Amino acid sequence: MSDTHAALPPGAENISRGGFNAYAGPFWRLADEGGAKRYALRVEPKHMNSSGSLHGGVLMTFADIAMSQTSRAVSGASTCTTVSLTCDFTGPGKLGDVVIAQVRVTRQTRTMVFLSAELVCEKRTLGVVTGLWKILEQ
Amino acid sequence: MTTPPAGFTRTELVDPFEIHVGPVFERGSKGARRFALIIDERHLNMRGVIHGGMLMTFADAALGQAAWDVCDHASCVTMTMQMQFLAPAKLGDLVEVTPILTRRTRALMFFRGDFTVRGEAIFSVASVWKILGQD
Repeated sequence: MSDTHAALPPGAENISRGGFNAYAGPFWRLADEGGAKRYALRVEPKHMNSSGSLHGGVLMTFADIAMSQTSRAVSGASTCTTVSLTCDFTGPGKLGDVVIAQVRVTRQTRTMVFLSAELVCEKRTLGVVTGLWKILEQ
Repeated sequence: MTTPPAGFTRTELVDPFEIHVGPVFERGSKGARRFALIIDERHLNMRGVIHGGMLMTFADAALGQAAWDVCDHASCVTMTMQMQFLAPAKLGDLVEVTPILTRRTRALMFFRGDFTVRGEAIFSVASVWKILGQD
């Protein structure tokens, strides 16, 4: 990793244990802040598109992982599954960026979790995401 | 190397992340291409079904290829994507989609896609693309 790359915040915990999460990642868990669950991704060469920006698929994968983790954390369930997800791409990510996902729970029922996430890099917002998760197993 | 499904050829991918997670396959002519993904071990989540992030990446790739057909390889970017996860898909499944152009304006392209495995809908997407440099 070149030293032009921003550092991950201290205390970041790797949450990519295997499968596509590890193949596309790694993704990191950060400490909660201001009522939001927070996660991080450092943009690597494999994450790019041919225009030199972060690929939209990586941003959506990151959002899906961050919001799924949050669904499990707030529900205590071992398994949650994505039912729907909407992503607005509001700005490009660049190589070496550390993108932070700030995830909030809008509403939780016995079987469903409604979530929103803002994906930011320093002062820039790269994506705004809303989604619905189904709690599969308590 | 993954063997293409019968009747399909390998799509020429240019984005590093799509090359990382591919290959993607296609058949049919420009503007009416059908795209396919064979689910392998790299694409799975810890429950052993395709990861939502992989499906969304395949969607962005397939609809992006279709958008390129429409705007003749002009620079274009995804503005928004809306997705519904209808059913899980498993290792070895062939996921297929023929992206549909819903409407095109001077600057925007509206696409939708219904993704199937063995003819059953598993994932559905709608997206809006902006052609850069067009008002």
